[in-house]
Amino acid sequence: MSNPDPKPDSTPPNSKPDPERPKPFKTNDIEEEEEDEDDESELEDDENQSDDVFGEPNRPKPQAREARFRAEKLKMDSLLQRMQSGPVSLRVHDVIIKGNTKTKDHIIEAETEELKSVGSMQELLKASQLVNLRLQALEVFDSVKITLDSGPPELPGTANVIIEVVETASPLSGQIGAYTKAEARSSTVEGSLKYKNPFGYGDLWDGSLAYGCDHSAEVSAGLYLPRFKGLVTPVTARAFLLSQDWLKFSSYKERSLGLSLGLFSTTHHDVAYNLAWRMLTDPSQMSSRSIRRQLGHNLLSSLKYTFKFDRRNSTLRPTRGYAFVSTTQIGGLAPDSRSLRFLRQEFDLRYAVPLGFYRAALNFGISGGVVFPWGNGFLSRPSSLPERFFLGGNISPVCTVGGPTALWGFKTRGLGPTEPRRQVNDENADPSGVDFLGGDLAVTALADLSFDLPFRWFREKGIHAHVFACTGNVAKLTENEYRNFSVQKFVDSLRSSVGVGLVVPTSLFRMELNYCYILKKFDHDRAKTGFWLTFSGAS
Amino acid sequence: MEQMQAREAEEFTLVTRKPYFDLPTACPLCLPVYIYLKLAHLPFHLEFNSVYPDSDQIPYVESGTYVAYNNENGGVIERLKQDGVVDLDSAFQSVPDWISMKAMISSWLADAIMYELWVGSDGRSAYKIYYSDLSWPIGKVLFLKQVYIVKQRLGITKDNAEQREDEIYKRAKIAYGALSTRLGEQNFLFDDRPSSLDATFLGHALVTLHVLPETSVLRSKLLEHDNIVRYAEKLKMEFIESGSSSSGAQFHSVPSSSAPRKDSSNWRSKPKSKPKREKTDEEKTFKRRAKYFLGAQLLAVLLFLSVMGGYDSGDMEFDDDDEGFTYD
Repeated sequence: MSNPDPKPDSTPPNSKPDPERPKPFKTNDIEEEEEDEDDESELEDDENQSDDVFGEPNRPKPQAREARFRAEKLKMDSLLQRMQSGPVSLRVHDVIIKGNTKTKDHIIEAETEELKSVGSMQELLKASQLVNLRLQALEVFDSVKITLDSGPPELPGTANVIIEVVETASPLSGQIGAYTKAEARSSTVEGSLKYKNPFGYGDLWDGSLAYGCDHSAEVSAGLYLPRFKGLVTPVTARAFLLSQDWLKFSSYKERSLGLSLGLFSTTHHDVAYNLAWRMLTDPSQMSSRSIRRQLGHNLLSSLKYTFKFDRRNSTLRPTRGYAFVSTTQIGGLAPDSRSLRFLRQEFDLRYAVPLGFYRAALNFGISGGVVFPWGNGFLSRPSSLPERFFLGGNISPVCTVGGPTALWGFKTRGLGPTEPRRQVNDENADPSGVDFLGGDLAVTALADLSFDLPFRWFREKGIHAHVFACTGNVAKLTENEYRNFSVQKFVDSLRSSVGVGLVVPTSLFRMELNYCYILKKFDHDRAKTGFWLTFSGAS
Repeated sequence: MEQMQAREAEEFTLVTRKPYFDLPTACPLCLPVYIYLKLAHLPFHLEFNSVYPDSDQIPYVESGTYVAYNNENGGVIERLKQDGVVDLDSAFQSVPDWISMKAMISSWLADAIMYELWVGSDGRSAYKIYYSDLSWPIGKVLFLKQVYIVKQRLGITKDNAEQREDEIYKRAKIAYGALSTRLGEQNFLFDDRPSSLDATFLGHALVTLHVLPETSVLRSKLLEHDNIVRYAEKLKMEFIESGSSSSGAQFHSVPSSSAPRKDSSNWRSKPKSKPKREKTDEEKTFKRRAKYFLGAQLLAVLLFLSVMGGYDSGDMEFDDDDEGFTYD
């Protein structure tokens, strides 16, 4: 219901009573004038409004139009004055949702909680902004329009909020991208198909195919639910079939079939549960003894908690700030004592210091991780092979924040404890290599100085140079090896490398062309001094 | 410090499936290998793998970097013979009776025990041997898969199930009769000397007697031959229960070399990878080069699109919880 005679003192601007002008007066449009002050343009983006408040060619005569124009301008000015002087008390009487044919009302209403508790015009505008963004973030609407209308005439000081949504016309969408997920050990190229909102719960279904640089392939299907039975944060569920080929490095192949549930996810905290059937096989039949002992089937039931605090100014080229990530994973959360039991903890600390010239910055980082089985006789049991730490690969350690993984100059799984492979009595046999077994304790550290190049073209494209140094090591602790462990020995056997390179950040990924010089490596380590090309996803 | 210490050349390790039912290993494929090594007085350690029930590599014998898998060269026993580790059959290789008995045991009796374990009985014994250390959902799925595979291998369908069962039991009965006649009152089947035939038959007999339930038809057929039962129990006591010699306490001077001999007729030494090797040596380089070429092309295109299209410095992050909206 709308009030035909606007009262400038207590009621907000209202919708036009004239049926010839069906478009109601929107307070979004007020903001259009205030955009210059506030720089808020999101509400405007999806509305595709090109006409202004007073726009629309109309039938009434020009003089009447001018008079109305002046009257409305007067109204608005007075309202603005009131709003600038102090809070204009107001409360929301009703939230009306229009335009949703498929989407359930309660999904939209769940995002509008803030509106119920506003006490003033200013708060209402702020809350409307927030609700608009939240509804857009659901990804199931093509446009979201929020209109503020006056409440019923018998209740002064109230407003109605009308939310008009336009559901996506084409629910199917496809995407191809390059990512570096926290769980993945290297960048992946992923193609996915999304089906939006088939059941009206704001649900997003997607199927995807991913291929990773670490010889992994994954087929998965996922579901994203913004509101599930009153849970605070959205819930994601993903069923996956993942296959990873480590034959070249550790003589085994890993295949996982499972389900992962994202239970709780905010900016800083993330809790996920993973249930998977994992098979380790060796079709080459060349594995070393330790690997042979690990082959077989396992049930993985684990809970993973990630705490992330990233205050760097950029993930592609951090020049200021710090970041801290800690990941804890507990396996064996099943009534069955035969499932895989382990405890894995990793942490990562980064710090960037700007130096003030040529946009130079010093990046320091240290990361470490430890994994250990638990349960009866855990000291003498080996840790599970895929849970161990492997260092090396084609990733740049500056960007990937998530545990010890990469060292410049070392190939994938290129350092750490090794064991000789099986020897076969064959005339044509190659000299048998070694299997990299990974370790239970890993530590890496890096220092990186990045700076702009003195050429303008490079600066415009964001291409810059860097000089870096890194060090790392991996050690075995399980099967009673912790008795032989000493910090001195660990530090003495740290591998290290230095280098210089060019960084090319693109919108898809960050590419580095480096020249690495290996300062210290051991006999079986796969590392080389020379040119390296590394990639990191724009996470 | 980084290298794992390789095992000493003299020590052999046999990896089998779990012990059960009073037997050092209850799997009918693994027990003959165990008995063979015992009959040859080869000292070895015994280890178990209970999480890989569908592997055809198990049982295997390893020593340092030498491994004899069961799915190569006709089995572990054959491989050990070829590599000169241990050979009990040198005198019998050309004896026709021995060869035909061997064929009979490896086909008719092997089928019979496989049928009885997975299909004939309710599968409980098989489940205990192979899947008791796996989590329930995995064990159940693998068990059902194995039952299906066994039925396929034995050619059992809904229509011919009864016929096949009768055929399998009939053949087993004939085999038991022949073996019982052959054995008589001797200690071993041939020339009173142990051979791999004894190892294989003994393994079968012990599994039939101890693992299969008492209602088993196959078991009852075997029990009809007293001399076989006596033979099985006697050898079990002598070679299996005589002290837990699996801890490798004593080392007899074994007349076989510790390092396996090279055999020029090892044409089947790598049945899986040899045919592949010739193919990939040439193709590997070509494929690698092609991969690099395609990768470089794709990279160039992506770089052109991304870098030339402009670069966004800094990330625009919207934080839902961070209501930084200020209204002035």
